[in-house]
Amino acid sequence: MSEIANTDPEGLDGVRMSWNVWPRTKVEASKCVIPLAASISPIRHHPDIPNLPYAPLRCKTCSAVLNPFSRVDFTAKIWICPFCYQRNHFPPHYHMISETNLPGELYAQYTTVQYSLPQNPDPNLGPSPLSPVFLFMLDTCMIEEEMGYVKSALMRAIGLLPENALVGFVSFGTQVQVHELGFSDMSKVYVFRGNKEISKEQVLDQLGLGVARRAGGTGYQKGVPIGFPNSGVTRFLLPAADCEYTLNALLDELETDQWPVPPGSRASRCTGVALSVSAGLLGACSTGTGARIIALVGGPCTEGPGTIISKDLSDPVRSHKDLDKDAAPYFKKAVKFYENLANQLVSQGHVLDLFASALDQVGVAEMKVAVEKTGGLVVQAESFGHPVFKDSFKRVFEEGEQSLGLCFNGTLEINCSKDIKIQGIIGPCTSLEKKGPAVADTTIGEGGTTAWKLCGLDKSTCLTVFFDLSSSDRSNTPGTVNPLLYLQFLTSYQNPEGQLILRVTTISRGWIDSAVSSEELAQGFDQETAAVVMARLTSLKMETEEGFDATRWLDRSLIRLCSKFGDYQKDDPASFTLNPSFSLFPQFMFNLRRSQFVQVFNNSPDETAYFRMLLNRENITNAAVMIQPSLISYSFNSLPAPALLDVASIAADRILLLDSYFSVVIFHGMQIAQWRNAGYHNQPGHQAFAHLLQAPYDDSQVIIRERFPVPRLVVCDQHGSQARFLLAKLNPSATYNNANEMAAGSDVIFTDDVSLQVFFEHLQRLAVQS
Amino acid sequence: MAAFLPPGAPRPRSGNDNPSQPPPPNYNPNLNPNSLADNLNNLNLNRPPSMPSSAPRASPFGQPPHFPSPASLPGVSVGSSPFSRPGPPPGALSRPAVPPTGPPQSTLSPNVPPPARSMGPPTGQPSFIGSRTPPGYFPSSGGTNVPPTYVAPPPGAFPSSGFPSRPVGSAPPPGTRPSTASPPLTTGPALPHSSAPSGYVTNGPPAFMSGASPGGPRFPPAGSAPPPPIGHPLTLGSAGAAPQAQSMRSFLASPAVVAPPGPPAQPASPFSAPPQGVPPPPGSYGPPTWPVQPGQVGPSQPLSGSVQPPRMFGMPPPPLPNQSMTAIPALSQTGAPVSGTSKIDPNQIPRPIPSSSSILYETRQGNQANPPPPATSDYIVRDTGNCSPRYMRSTISQIPCTADLLTTSGMQLALLIQPLALPHPSEEPIQVVDFADIGPVRCSRCKAYINPFMKFIDQGRRFICNICGYTDETPRDYHCNLGPDGRRRDADERPELCRGTVEFVATKEYMVRDPMPAVYFFLIDVSMNAIQTGATAAACSAISQVISDLPEGPRTMVGIATFDSTIHFYNLKRALQQPLMLIVPDVQDVYTPLQTDVVVQLSECRQHLELLLESIPNMFQNNRTAESAFGAAVQAAFLAIKSSGGKLLVFQSVLPSTGVGSLSAREAEGRTNISAGEKEAHKLLQPVDKTLKTMAIEFAEYQVCVDIFVTTQTYIDIASISVIPRTTGGQVYYYYPFSALSDPAKLYNDLRWNITRPQGFEAVMRVRCSQGIQVQDYHGNFCKRIPTDVDLPGIDCDKTIMVNLKHDDKLQDGSECSFQCALLYTTVYGQRRIRVTTLSLPCTSMLSNLFRSADLDTQFACFLKQAANKIPSSPLLQVREQVTNLCINVLLSYRKFCATVTSSGQLILPEALKLLPLYTLALLKSIGLRNDGRIDDRSIWIECVSYLSTPLAIPLVYPRMVAIHDLKQKDENECLVSPVIPLSSEHVTDDGIYLLENGVDCLIYIGNSVDSNILQLLFGISSAEEIPTQFVLQQFDNPLSRKVNDLVNEIRRQRCSYLRIKLCKKGDPSGALFFSHLVEDKNPSGPSYVEFLVYVHREIQMKMSS
Repeated sequence: MSEIANTDPEGLDGVRMSWNVWPRTKVEASKCVIPLAASISPIRHHPDIPNLPYAPLRCKTCSAVLNPFSRVDFTAKIWICPFCYQRNHFPPHYHMISETNLPGELYAQYTTVQYSLPQNPDPNLGPSPLSPVFLFMLDTCMIEEEMGYVKSALMRAIGLLPENALVGFVSFGTQVQVHELGFSDMSKVYVFRGNKEISKEQVLDQLGLGVARRAGGTGYQKGVPIGFPNSGVTRFLLPAADCEYTLNALLDELETDQWPVPPGSRASRCTGVALSVSAGLLGACSTGTGARIIALVGGPCTEGPGTIISKDLSDPVRSHKDLDKDAAPYFKKAVKFYENLANQLVSQGHVLDLFASALDQVGVAEMKVAVEKTGGLVVQAESFGHPVFKDSFKRVFEEGEQSLGLCFNGTLEINCSKDIKIQGIIGPCTSLEKKGPAVADTTIGEGGTTAWKLCGLDKSTCLTVFFDLSSSDRSNTPGTVNPLLYLQFLTSYQNPEGQLILRVTTISRGWIDSAVSSEELAQGFDQETAAVVMARLTSLKMETEEGFDATRWLDRSLIRLCSKFGDYQKDDPASFTLNPSFSLFPQFMFNLRRSQFVQVFNNSPDETAYFRMLLNRENITNAAVMIQPSLISYSFNSLPAPALLDVASIAADRILLLDSYFSVVIFHGMQIAQWRNAGYHNQPGHQAFAHLLQAPYDDSQVIIRERFPVPRLVVCDQHGSQARFLLAKLNPSATYNNANEMAAGSDVIFTDDVSLQVFFEHLQRLAVQS
Repeated sequence: MAAFLPPGAPRPRSGNDNPSQPPPPNYNPNLNPNSLADNLNNLNLNRPPSMPSSAPRASPFGQPPHFPSPASLPGVSVGSSPFSRPGPPPGALSRPAVPPTGPPQSTLSPNVPPPARSMGPPTGQPSFIGSRTPPGYFPSSGGTNVPPTYVAPPPGAFPSSGFPSRPVGSAPPPGTRPSTASPPLTTGPALPHSSAPSGYVTNGPPAFMSGASPGGPRFPPAGSAPPPPIGHPLTLGSAGAAPQAQSMRSFLASPAVVAPPGPPAQPASPFSAPPQGVPPPPGSYGPPTWPVQPGQVGPSQPLSGSVQPPRMFGMPPPPLPNQSMTAIPALSQTGAPVSGTSKIDPNQIPRPIPSSSSILYETRQGNQANPPPPATSDYIVRDTGNCSPRYMRSTISQIPCTADLLTTSGMQLALLIQPLALPHPSEEPIQVVDFADIGPVRCSRCKAYINPFMKFIDQGRRFICNICGYTDETPRDYHCNLGPDGRRRDADERPELCRGTVEFVATKEYMVRDPMPAVYFFLIDVSMNAIQTGATAAACSAISQVISDLPEGPRTMVGIATFDSTIHFYNLKRALQQPLMLIVPDVQDVYTPLQTDVVVQLSECRQHLELLLESIPNMFQNNRTAESAFGAAVQAAFLAIKSSGGKLLVFQSVLPSTGVGSLSAREAEGRTNISAGEKEAHKLLQPVDKTLKTMAIEFAEYQVCVDIFVTTQTYIDIASISVIPRTTGGQVYYYYPFSALSDPAKLYNDLRWNITRPQGFEAVMRVRCSQGIQVQDYHGNFCKRIPTDVDLPGIDCDKTIMVNLKHDDKLQDGSECSFQCALLYTTVYGQRRIRVTTLSLPCTSMLSNLFRSADLDTQFACFLKQAANKIPSSPLLQVREQVTNLCINVLLSYRKFCATVTSSGQLILPEALKLLPLYTLALLKSIGLRNDGRIDDRSIWIECVSYLSTPLAIPLVYPRMVAIHDLKQKDENECLVSPVIPLSSEHVTDDGIYLLENGVDCLIYIGNSVDSNILQLLFGISSAEEIPTQFVLQQFDNPLSRKVNDLVNEIRRQRCSYLRIKLCKKGDPSGALFFSHLVEDKNPSGPSYVEFLVYVHREIQMKMSS
């Protein structure tokens, strides 16, 4: 992040908005085409954010937190809330306040501050923080080799866990096995059948954790880890330090699922029930305990609720086509099941992380809802032995620089100025259904609320908030109103150390009468953010709106945008120019149209779901890369330089490094590949070549190290089969249709897709149409 | 030990440890109720008259001369026949019939023959009798204790005596009476054994002494003098039958035992009499009897006490203080002054007399079926065509030709089949016949298996099926020419042609799959109560010890699971460092947690298993889960072994309170809601619902046999639980209240026997009968899916199946009727076998033959099972009434149609069934038919009865009691278990220690004033005060203790049961328990023996006169 940090577009606040200047009216806003949206990174790390070790002051009417935009009357010891204009008295401990003695939250530059909330007021709990819970849920329906990989990954992960972290282990196949780690006499396992839906109460009851079985439930036992009034659960969840040996021994002996699989059948795998059981088990933890289910899944669920496919191998796993034609008999039922599971997890405040490693689909598309609503991590790889899984999995547990900073139990509240309505959020969160005047009539994503639950969140978690304006024009009278609008994001969460933190970000933007100054409005346009917002919105619409034609919708939006903000003479395409604020946007749209987010038929539903989940939770920069990959060219005669994302960038003597977020491709031109194959780089006289070869690797490692999930690294040569990873992303300026025009050493892409140039031509023509 | 194992299941057995050892194969010879039964007892219940009768009897005695006559049976018989006819019209008919039955006997028959049959032991009876006369018998009868003396004499004696007596009654009649009497007498002969000698003796007074001192004396006195008079008076009073009555009595008298006591004691009879207006006799009767008796008694008692069991002959001294005495007055009041005088001598009423030595028994002799010795006797069988009675025995050794005849007799026609019964060590093992690929030769129509009774014709080219009568072609490979005798020349070389029981090697046709492996799955209750009472530890220890007894080899698989409110399986696979516990928490809808590895080859998991068993008690030491998911656990364990089938051994300690098939403490509910409880009290003995039954049927379908070891302190609803073992061919072991001190040894031994006894898996059994008879239904522990077959997931040597038969046609007199039981099963070593057991019995159209050939033990076992069957479905009173009526009807039938010359004042018992009233009384007082017991005790009793074998049926209700305080005085050579003391508190003294056992429990009663030295020697305590509630029999280094231990071990061997030993002392609940077993006493659950006889007698009289 270091290099990016320099040009940090998100700044202290971690907020990027599609429009940094807002039109005053709903009508004007709708004319802007691109929605009013903010992409926020609620707990993004920034060294300058002050940490305040006390509780915030809240407005007594709107409960907004005291912030630099509040007007303060130092003599009267009163502050006025910028959102509702309520006058609030400072409490006694603020009596020292004066113009020269401001508390941290009033410093103008500290638009974002962080409060460390006092610990749980319950004196019984004492000072020690809540230990996070990691419940590993391992699929055992896999070949020995995969099992070996996943076991070693698990063992390594367990070794990395903080000592106080509580660990549980569930394995599943035909049945679910809950391992009682706290049983010292021998390995002890609770077995649940895989084909029967099971409620949380049943799970608790059957594990001996039910209410009925809590002996003397009220008594608080000494020596029992805090936060578990139901001490029974400590049979299953042990501090990592205490159970590492047990777990390793257990993993050593753990076998693949022993139930026979008839030939021509898929293994019987009850992922759904396993998740129910795991969620149920965690339900025994007291509220407020941060817990995550880390599901390691090696294939599709074929048994019991949540089944996505029959056991018959001749029955292929559903494709996008099947979903479109409603020919996926299990899909809706499964989604419904995982939705319920998601709701349960959210109510418990727990997280589902999904690590899917299989060549075939495992049902990510169905489970997406549970992962996304709980703010879980998701990693998809083709094998547990693949670096994409191995390295990503390791990252989850690593401490320090590389730490993902996994936090729990987040709650996001948004306060906004009058007349601003919130439509909803796209991203890893769940609506808490908290109604208020700021709730818009229309809903996008998780809406209908001003508060959201983020069971799991991390440094890079990013949410897209969609705003709308009040349709009443009462506020529309200029001059009488504050020219600034305010938004306040309150994120409370439990950090990895178990501390409760509240981060308050208050931002202010200007209102503009767009009718007056379109120019100012354009200046406030953030193309990158807008592109990502459009991508997210498109994805959402594709998933939720029946028969939604994404390409058409994007095209029309783009044309409208260009019509509104372009400079042109009607019906003269040649006269069309675009304000620099918008200049990149059409290309983003071009690439978005061609991306996996819109052209889903090249991918499986699982892949699509995976891509979209990451699109929704990544920051703007990374999301933009997903839409429009970056391409860097390496050659002898120049420094590494960005190259056009065009097939024309391919040259025999170049190495290209493509970062499309999910994969990083190192592409050797034909000549380079030949030299390399000849081993020149190993010869003393060709150190320059060796360096040239090495440079893209080094750069790719930088990318890979920073990113979670770890991208797939593809190293390929021109004309090699793997080259498709690059070619698919390039603008097909050279196809077999115009192959004769291409430069030597370049390449062609076998496609009928239009090139960027053609796209632009059409755009210009349509934009200027009257 | 090994010897006793049947060939099919050869199991090594280590015989070293004493008590622990499974019971030996041998049965107890001791009790020969049968022998008694064999004899016809004529119980003369005379009122006072009886007393007088005694005087008359004396005359009979005097008649001893008669004996000679009896000796020359022919003569007697002749006489009898005539008599009989003239005498009682009804009886006459029957009797004549009797004689005919045994052709040779016919002459004798009237008198002698019957006895012969009754004699049972003598087997040949009729024929014997006829031809052989007494002497002949002796040998045959030899089976009984002192064959020569007893048996032989008895027959002769009885008849003789009987005759005499009759004569006595009506002087001239003697001859006739004999005839009439003879039948009874005949039966009587059997009784004679014990009494017989005495009887003879009686006849010849001096002889008595020689014979059985006690018995002897009594007979003479009682029989001789008093009876006759009594009879007369009574008869007079009642009817003209008088003479008969007398005769009867005389018989009784002769049997000595019966007669005397009957009359006097039974005030009842008196009553009946009095009403009739017999008053006159009383005065006279009374006196004589008394004097006589006393005199006799004196001597007799001591004798009885000391050596020979009193048996039938109880020589109660005049003082007879007992209830009978008391009862008498009361009776008398109603009746008349007579009453006071009248009484039945409790010392002379019929009682079982154990025989002490082995009988040699051939199943057929002279090409005729040989009636079997009593099931409870010690006999050695030579299979000469019919199967050994151990495997199959019929309630009647002759088959009535028509259903009407059977109905008239009041008896049941049923087979008791114990297909894998333990043979006597001296018996020839069952031969295994391998027909290779062809498979056993069978009738092509009815599929009956080849057996000695299939008749080969047409030079052996064809054979006629003895079951369906169809003529089959002899398979070419099986052809053999016939010899001059019409038999195949190879008949004697081929076991299937000369043996009643053979085992065929099954071919592929008999298998739907490969024979199943021997799978043993142990399921142990580890709920809080089980742990805390030590039941879990006991179970684990027992299993651990028993592992080494499991059959060796790769086909032996073992699995184990524990349960409380959840079910815990254990993965015992070798690869694991330690066993893996797999918990199935869903007890509403169970499943097995692993497809494989829950059940593992024994050789692969021995160490894990031992380790596990060792750690289970500790592991659950702090278990606070009180709930028990028994039903679910059983279901889950079933699922684990479903693919192969196998044995499921469950150790359960508390009421199943959760999960599938959970039960409620409905016993308590019944108590609190008394009105509802009483109205349908028997409902508590029924399974509460069908859940477990449905499960059990599924188990059976997959060849899973469930045994349940109940180690509990509380109500556990055996009625519901026992459905599972009952349906799957298993059984329930009941340890209540479980004692961690004394029960583990029994648990271990029970388990060990359960596993090591001869047994088979995945069995199917069918019984085929000759045309004219068909199977009505089967009773026992099995599952029945189609009407003709019973499915036995498990079958072992202890399990008996009762097969009720019915006529569907007439049989031809003189023909034979065959029964064939085929049991297809898999041995523990995985061989598929068919055990074919064939029994061919003569058909008869004579009622008297039926009575003569009645098999008391079998009949009673049949009674018992039927009663037990009804208990859960009918009100108790009704069942008791039915049981009583069953007894009365048989006796009534005999009285009506067979006992010709009787006076109505006499209770006349067919010799073979003379103990029926006693056993019926015992049955009425048994746990199952009382309503004062715990529900579970009754349920377990019912459950136990359902598979109980014939030899164990009688001890269960009529236990055996011996004194052990004076054991050391006994001769080394004497039979360990005798003498047996009658079950009357009269015989229990305060300075004695008594051991009473019924094959399940063993109570040791310690009197209040027992010599402390003896206590020290036996129990290591110095006074009765220190008697522990939980008791372990130890062997101390002194002769007495050794003897007692030997005795207990002998009993264990005989019963194939380790017995739960409990010490009882007076004035303690345990003492009350002990006394509740003394069935001859009057107690809240029923009248005294004497009273009962009187009651029976009165009922018969009423029915006769109505």
